[in-house]
Amino acid sequence: MKKTVTIIVAAVFLLTTMVFAPMAMAKPFPRSWLWNSTALQMMDTSKFAKKGPYVVGFSNASISNSWRVFFERQVRYGYELNKDQIKRYYVTDANDKPDKQIADVEDLLAKGVDVLILSAATMAALDPVARRTMRRGIPVICVDRRVTSDESFVSFITSSNVAQGRAQMLWLAEMLGGRGNIVMLGGIAGSGPAEERRSGGEEILSAFPNVKVLDFQYANWSPAEGKRIMKALIQTHGRKINGIWGDGLQTSGAMEAMKEAGMKVPITGDHLNAFLVRAQDWGFPAMSIDFPVSMGTDSVEIALKVLRGEPVPHIYEVPRTVVCTQDTENIKTDMPWSRMAHKDWPDEAWNNTLPKNLLPY
Amino acid sequence: MQVAVSKRLQRSPQHIRSLFERFGIYIFLAILIVTASLVSPNFLKPQNLKDILNQSAALGMVAIGQTFVILIGGGGLDLSVASVMSTVAVIMAHNTEGQNSLFIPVMGVCLLFGIIVGFINGTLITKRKVQPFMATLGMMIIVQGIRFLYTKGMPKGEFPPIQRYLATGDIGSVPTSIISLAVMVIIALFVLRKTTFGRKVYAIGGNVNTARLCGYNIDFTIISVYMISGFMASIAGLYLAGWIGISDNWVGKGYELDSIAAVVMGGTTFEGGRGGVLGTIVGVLIVMMLYNIVLLLGMPVQMQFVVKGVVIILATSFYASFRRTQT
Repeated sequence: MKKTVTIIVAAVFLLTTMVFAPMAMAKPFPRSWLWNSTALQMMDTSKFAKKGPYVVGFSNASISNSWRVFFERQVRYGYELNKDQIKRYYVTDANDKPDKQIADVEDLLAKGVDVLILSAATMAALDPVARRTMRRGIPVICVDRRVTSDESFVSFITSSNVAQGRAQMLWLAEMLGGRGNIVMLGGIAGSGPAEERRSGGEEILSAFPNVKVLDFQYANWSPAEGKRIMKALIQTHGRKINGIWGDGLQTSGAMEAMKEAGMKVPITGDHLNAFLVRAQDWGFPAMSIDFPVSMGTDSVEIALKVLRGEPVPHIYEVPRTVVCTQDTENIKTDMPWSRMAHKDWPDEAWNNTLPKNLLPY
Repeated sequence: MQVAVSKRLQRSPQHIRSLFERFGIYIFLAILIVTASLVSPNFLKPQNLKDILNQSAALGMVAIGQTFVILIGGGGLDLSVASVMSTVAVIMAHNTEGQNSLFIPVMGVCLLFGIIVGFINGTLITKRKVQPFMATLGMMIIVQGIRFLYTKGMPKGEFPPIQRYLATGDIGSVPTSIISLAVMVIIALFVLRKTTFGRKVYAIGGNVNTARLCGYNIDFTIISVYMISGFMASIAGLYLAGWIGISDNWVGKGYELDSIAAVVMGGTTFEGGRGGVLGTIVGVLIVMMLYNIVLLLGMPVQMQFVVKGVVIILATSFYASFRRTQT
């Protein structure tokens, strides 16, 4: 009897292992695909397939702000994770100058890269060189910032700026119960992300006719500008200001101006640690949505897939994390605010997936 | 129009022209204040005026140093000030980690850093005969590179509470930053007007050959003014960083040109030897008020560049008209 029970238990265990083990070992479903706003356009990359190990080149627009520093580290992390498939990794920094970046790309091609990862300083200026690269049979993977024409790259890894602006405005409007006065602080006038986020926010506003914009000002994604502008707006509008829509570094400065004026209103921002920690410490009702630096690592993974000849999405939307100090009807927090606000991190740190040895601080 | 103004000025008595040249900037400031208070009732609110003064402190400090450099003549200007400001800000945050006890020693390091940058600028200009524009531009880029190497592009740390108090606090109802600026203005006025060093600065700026014949040590004086500029940029950087409260790689961005604009608006000429610190401070107030008025009126913030540019051109053509009529 004992023997029979042992055999049955062993058989059940074996069966369970056989059935569930492949499920446990299966790669998680790429949640990013859920965020694509249109039907996925999968790219046939068989013409780029070649045997490894590969030479990977990354042409970066710049590391001129802390987001870009973390982003560059994330690309490097992608290389570190796949060292068995990558024999050499080259990285260049264009200092935000398109002409330098064109020369950088030419240099990388001369070094014999098998794939080019490109974060373009400007869309139009880098388009011809990206197209030439593709014509030479070297796949181009755009990340964070793309080039103009769809034919100039195989895949673009990004996250929707319009969606970011919408989410921020929807939370703010719902926090105000659909009625109140807000000020909007944008990024750099004319820059793609700043304008797309603004337009996303304004789309939402059209559904909330009783939410009035008292003023819109560009604050150059600068905490100093954010504080200076907010100080003047407080003098003009005073306690009529019921909420602040912002999309970046400027909101931490704006929050400081509000605190000094003894005002505490709902405010939106992104995952800059200074914003997250201060909102928590000072008790501001706040919402934050990130433009994930981890897309840098994703770009390396996609580049390797292309070199293996596997199909990849033409536009690859990475998932966003939303945190709110207070949920609204449509915007819910993905995790408690305190898990995202790190008191032991520097002010300018961004939420990331980096191992300790690659952290830039 | 320029010619017409010049002709009118030629007809006016010499002493009236001189008065206009000396006090024109103050008249312009008064007109600006009256106009601003008429177009925006919020302008004269005590808190708004306090904000303007508070925000003027850092620019005022860096502009004092810039005044010394421009006064010395020979195309003198210092483009490295903004880089120095940003760098001392990250040095302070990195090394104090928000502790008051480390504020004084780290501040010493920051001030020394500014002085060294100024010394290198001055040495390049006097000993290697590098144009001030190119020497200070080069230093601006070098210091920026050093900052990025030092921070790895990611500034960390916090500012000590004492630094934040000095930049944002009040004594009574007067901002501490304004008290500091006032002390620095008084010292600068004393140095320029009452000391041999100050007279040498004006003399070299007025005519370097005459100054040399008088036995003045030209190189030493020029190097000294660049060291003063670096020193003032360091102090300004620490004040500005304390005011913002976040360790940022670009704390002083734009201050090199704003400080030059304020000095020139204040009546100090690029030829050197004419002008002074009081005019510069008025120039600083004009720059900051223009910024404030644009926002109070609800105009796009970019309008400040247009307005500021127009005022700089008007101010320099105004001074040029007077000076042409006097020659």
